[in-house]
Amino acid sequence: MRVFSGQRAWLLQRFSAIAILVLLVLGIVRLAMSDGTAYERWHAIATSTHGVVLILAFFLSMGLHGWIGVRDVVLDYVHAPSLRLPLLAVIAFILVAVQIRVAMILLGQP
Amino acid sequence: MQRQAAAGGAARSLPKFLNLAQIRFPIGAIASILHRVSGVLLAVSLPLLASALAESLRSPQGFDAVVHAATRSWFAPLLFIGAWALVHHIFAGVRHLFMDAGFGYRLPQARTSAFVSIAAGIVAALLWLLAWGLR
Repeated sequence: MRVFSGQRAWLLQRFSAIAILVLLVLGIVRLAMSDGTAYERWHAIATSTHGVVLILAFFLSMGLHGWIGVRDVVLDYVHAPSLRLPLLAVIAFILVAVQIRVAMILLGQP
Repeated sequence: MQRQAAAGGAARSLPKFLNLAQIRFPIGAIASILHRVSGVLLAVSLPLLASALAESLRSPQGFDAVVHAATRSWFAPLLFIGAWALVHHIFAGVRHLFMDAGFGYRLPQARTSAFVSIAAGIVAALLWLLAWGLR
């Protein structure tokens, strides 16, 4: 897709990187500031609305950032179109599947 | 091939730059290739991270199982590779962000920050192994 190539990919790579960093720091601070056992803290965050949004945003940023990075690696080292395109398709499929799985985990909780 | 044959011995003495053992990589190049390697490792671990997320939220026992896997299982010490990948990738990535913003791109600073990125990753890996040893 055009959205994920050229300068846009370059920008998306930077913005997703910053998002990942900010969300990581937020998550660590949030975990440290809450009370209870490790499980209680983690569960409280991951079932709260803002926690679900932030974890979804984290995995989405990781997925986008990972896609651009792995795509660059494949484009640099795999040159045969017969190998390159299926490989990119498999990677994209896995990354999308991870997004769906994470959404199902977080939104399907009681 | 024909041109080489025509040039004879002169062509044979030309240096070949494909021998990886002979190439001296500048420290920036080492930080760069490690940034790639660590990035691929982190991308590969993303599905595992999703599994850990699912398991950790399933039940208190599931959460304990994830903590146990990360700290006391047979592969827990091997996660030093993950600690290295994460820390090196973050340091090398922030280094790139600073360079994009116009800071630290001159050679002396760039070499220093490349060294810091590599060292930070190694320190993180050693700290992981130390923490595992002292657990």
